[in-house]
Amino acid sequence: METRRSFIQKGGLVVLGVAGGIAGAEKVAAMSARRRKLGMIIDLNRCTGCQSCVVACKGQDKTVRGQFKTRLLTVEADDSPARLVFTPVQCNQCDNPPCVPACPVGAAFKLDNGIVVTDWDKCRSLGNCIKACPYGARFADPRHGRQADKCDFCLGRLEKGLEPACVEACAAGARIFGDFNHPQGEFALYLRKRKLAGRKAELKTGPNIRYVAIRRGQGGVA
Amino acid sequence: MKEPAGKKRKKEFSPARRTMLKGGAALAGAALLAPATAGAGEAAAGSGEILRQTVPARTDKDVQVVHSVCLGCNARCGNRSVVKNGRLEAYSGNPYHPYNHLGDPVDYATPVAETLALPSPVCAKAHDAPNYVYNPYRILKPLKRMGPRGSGRFEPIEWERLIEEIAGGGKLFAHLGEERHIAGLKELDSDEPIDPAAPELGPKRNGFVFVTGRLQAGRKQIIDRFVKDAMGSKNRIGHTDICGLGFRMGNFALTDKEQWELKADPWGAEYILVFGANIYEALQPGVNTYGAAVAKRSSEGKVKFVIVDPRAQHASVHAEDWIAVKPGQDGALAMGLIRWLLENDRYNKAYLVAPNPAAALKKGHVCYSNATHLVIDDATHPHDRKFLRIADLDPAAAGESGRAWVVLSAANRSPVAFDRAGEALLDEATTVRGAGGVGIKVKTAFRLMKEGVMAHDLDRYAELAGVPRAQIEKTARDFSAHGTRAAVCQYHGAGNYVSGTYAAYAVAMLNALIGSVEAKGGFMSAGGAAASWKKGLYDLRNFQGRRKPAGVAISREKAVYEKSTEYRRKVKETGSGYPARRPWFAFTKGGLSVETLSGIDQKYPYRCRVLFHYFYDPVYSTPGGYRYKETLKDHDKVPLYVSIDTNVNESNIFADYIVPDVTYTEGHYGWLNPHAPALRFTGIRTPCIEPLTGKTADNRCFCLETFLIDLAEKMALPGFGANAIPGGDGRLHPLHRAEDFYLRGFANIAWQAKVPPAAPAEISFVEKNYPVARFKDILPPREWRTTCYALARGGVFGKYEDVFAGGRFKYAVKRVLLYSEDLAAARNSLTGEFFPGTLTYIPPMDSAGEIIAAKDRDYPFAVITHKMNVHTQSRTISHLWAMEIFPENFVVMNAADAGRYGLKDGDRVRLISRSNNKGITGKVRLTKLIRGGCISVSTHYGHTQHGASSLTVKNGAGVFMGGRQVMDKDELIADPRRGTGLNTNMVSRLDENLADTPLVDLTGGIPDFSSTRVKIIKEA
Repeated sequence: METRRSFIQKGGLVVLGVAGGIAGAEKVAAMSARRRKLGMIIDLNRCTGCQSCVVACKGQDKTVRGQFKTRLLTVEADDSPARLVFTPVQCNQCDNPPCVPACPVGAAFKLDNGIVVTDWDKCRSLGNCIKACPYGARFADPRHGRQADKCDFCLGRLEKGLEPACVEACAAGARIFGDFNHPQGEFALYLRKRKLAGRKAELKTGPNIRYVAIRRGQGGVA
Repeated sequence: MKEPAGKKRKKEFSPARRTMLKGGAALAGAALLAPATAGAGEAAAGSGEILRQTVPARTDKDVQVVHSVCLGCNARCGNRSVVKNGRLEAYSGNPYHPYNHLGDPVDYATPVAETLALPSPVCAKAHDAPNYVYNPYRILKPLKRMGPRGSGRFEPIEWERLIEEIAGGGKLFAHLGEERHIAGLKELDSDEPIDPAAPELGPKRNGFVFVTGRLQAGRKQIIDRFVKDAMGSKNRIGHTDICGLGFRMGNFALTDKEQWELKADPWGAEYILVFGANIYEALQPGVNTYGAAVAKRSSEGKVKFVIVDPRAQHASVHAEDWIAVKPGQDGALAMGLIRWLLENDRYNKAYLVAPNPAAALKKGHVCYSNATHLVIDDATHPHDRKFLRIADLDPAAAGESGRAWVVLSAANRSPVAFDRAGEALLDEATTVRGAGGVGIKVKTAFRLMKEGVMAHDLDRYAELAGVPRAQIEKTARDFSAHGTRAAVCQYHGAGNYVSGTYAAYAVAMLNALIGSVEAKGGFMSAGGAAASWKKGLYDLRNFQGRRKPAGVAISREKAVYEKSTEYRRKVKETGSGYPARRPWFAFTKGGLSVETLSGIDQKYPYRCRVLFHYFYDPVYSTPGGYRYKETLKDHDKVPLYVSIDTNVNESNIFADYIVPDVTYTEGHYGWLNPHAPALRFTGIRTPCIEPLTGKTADNRCFCLETFLIDLAEKMALPGFGANAIPGGDGRLHPLHRAEDFYLRGFANIAWQAKVPPAAPAEISFVEKNYPVARFKDILPPREWRTTCYALARGGVFGKYEDVFAGGRFKYAVKRVLLYSEDLAAARNSLTGEFFPGTLTYIPPMDSAGEIIAAKDRDYPFAVITHKMNVHTQSRTISHLWAMEIFPENFVVMNAADAGRYGLKDGDRVRLISRSNNKGITGKVRLTKLIRGGCISVSTHYGHTQHGASSLTVKNGAGVFMGGRQVMDKDELIADPRRGTGLNTNMVSRLDENLADTPLVDLTGGIPDFSSTRVKIIKEA
């Protein structure tokens, strides 16, 4: 918990005037001057399948019934003894997001921080991006004329100095949020020391959610 | 920060969003974002709004934040609410609370302002809370029955009349053609005997029975004050039995009744044997704490764990191994493990030979065992089955020294007082010279335990448990390879069935044998409360005229049958006093809700006159609860039936009156101590929002407390109203509203915990955010300031490390028993036989002593249940998001079994038991993660109430939270989503020998969650 906490502290609470003195304002300013690449490392050796991230996410946007910005894939691994393996999934905020070129009106695009977002004023609910996403991360939101929605790492919460809802909800610390370009704390440690894999690597989408596979058995990344 | 705009979509110009896209200065500081200072890049492609409205955050300026304690389940994590415009928007965790931070929260002294932005997790149930609080099927006004019991016809009743009718009784339903006189509570306020022929049963007061479902400290004390201290009834009965009495009985026996909940320390253990504890989906501490700690440490290679459960559970994901034990056979497995430890010299002999606290402490143990203490094993001796005492050897020895236990000194084999030897002989059977030189045959407690274990060989235990011998051997070897950093985490599954006392005792004993009881990383109890609620500035326990309940509880818990008139009469009539009409439970932790209801049904040992129940749904939640429908319907068995609850449920559908209650977000004030293991704290629960229920004329909300207070004032019972609470200053204070009680409890806690007065900023934080601050004048300013310090932080907290001094647990149980004299002194009240005082293998049996698995062999599948991580028992069917992820539950079945029966995933099947041949239906879900021959069905589904069925409620739009949305004239509109799935409690095995009431263990009164067997028939 300490690492997560210090991460967010260093990350910019100063701006909010909430936790003054934790990190130097100059440091924050310096950090913010560089291009960031936000992402997540998910350690499946910590994920208990508790669904807290899924419900916390649901509570953020209250998407309509059946639509989720993050979900939990649960598979029975063919191990002996039998075991379950949980894999939280959502938009990977890819380096080469297939959804972006798929949009003929340029509504889908990538922020400088790496987050793939939609310009709601431009989106014409064409649905090309939904089909283009190899991860099934997008869905047509009937509340908004079937515009395509998906995870945006809780941009609104980040702006307020808070972690994405799914990250905060994870008591075991399976979801580690950070900046691939300027890794710190536990995120940096994982980058340095652990073998990480993105989903469907063969598609070369450059997913920015990277997983640590289950240590034993066949607990690969779904 | 500004609220993200964009409520209105499209076309609307949103300066904030544009700024962000263009990389303007407003966001330059939000370092997590990418302020696009180095060229707009992709961002330039955007020109409009990218954010839609998100829920208010705790760092917003226009929200209220309250630190409180969750009640999504009973785990007691902290929570931190975000309330906007009076509405609960979201919960996160409390950064000060160790349960939200794997034992390591922020320093308690940290100013609140510095913690608001800190992340703090809560589980899925807490995130679903708004759906629970604003559940359209919640009742907000009191209801009175408007048709026959169970007809589902109710009408609102005025609060004053409600109080009058329940207190005063009378012909309360004459308008429905029911001419009976119903005794109100006032009639039970009498010291006349309830049964003049059996005065030992106590006064008429005991005709008032109050059963509590999900009770927690705070409300528990006010209910006890009403039921026990003011009304003087013995019958405030909890639901420990259906919660998990089984494993608690094992710990109760092991610790000489000192503790009932011990668990492996998830922060310090290297190896955990998870016995029937669903650590990733349930447990207390919950998934947010225990499961998360185990997962995190397991990922770091710091702890290994093995699951013992017929179902592999979610925790299989990280488990070292899965031992798919047969349901009801945890005892056989534990005995097998113990046998291997004994035969292979892998038990902690150095620990066990220490006969007293000092000797044990010298070896680093804060808890010693009575392994070496001598037990009289001599039928000719008057103290047979009891510990040998110094007075048995030397009648001149008096008092304390005469009562001292005796051991055989390791130095010279002579019998000495246990506290006079540094080490004593462990495995002995001998004869000692008693008074007058008479020989007394004695054995050490260890020897008696060992004899119990050696009664069967390892192959036999393996066969009984349905586990390969090699797996038992490997597990025993691994368990004993970590010194005192190994332990069992035992819960509901391991012992919650008939004969479960001995199964659970064997499981608990494993820890004693490796010496890990109360060791850091071992089998630990909880560190307790940070401070007491009841004393200090105010005496919340004692008052003028406080009554002391007398007699026998209707559940017969902690009561000795042999002292009853019934027993004496039977001795006179037949020579034997046995059998009792129903079992009595001399040796139990208690909380026997099942035997309470069975006692009510059988009017035994006396009649119930008035039944209250709180936050409780026995028909739904009790294995075999369907049997109680007829009990609750019967006016003779339950003449007046009152339920206090947030909903109409499967039980109170039969009630005469339903009193609406608040949820934990609006009330449930309380002081919540840790569950085992380790940790020491007191969480403080206060409301986050104003109550949503109706109000009395003087503006108090309809809820449990207002109801009990008004009844008490109406009847002029002691302990309520003016001058009810003595202050330390000698003045008397009123108890007219909930806050009169709880705020003084909080003041006591803050004062005794010696917290400093809150800083002005924190006082204003509380006063600005906390609804309870409206009542601050109840406390003098000085007390309010100190209380604010605790309120602002949601309690008084420490960290995991704080409970140790020099690596030793400061709040340890002092002694564990390999032989329990008290257990050995209790008898089976149906046969008169003594219960064994130490480990004995006993299969699950009915009250006639027949083995159920054999008797029901024509029913090929054993039924077990499990909890789901997004749910809690009966009350989370309103959790819409949980229901969205899991709209129904299933008959979870082994795929190989299904193949033999020609069943496919999704097939609809009927489950039929010996006790319910109509059965219930559900859909099959196939898996490899359950033992063959077993099915598991999660609780939480299969509701018929809670909105699953229509009701007729006069003016219901003013009664239900959903108002007109859920009412069609006077008809409640049912939501079929709330009635999905099945509940196996509806087919549970009943006891044919005891009036077809639900099965209970004859020792401790444990209900049965593992012995029901069913046939599975494919539905057309």
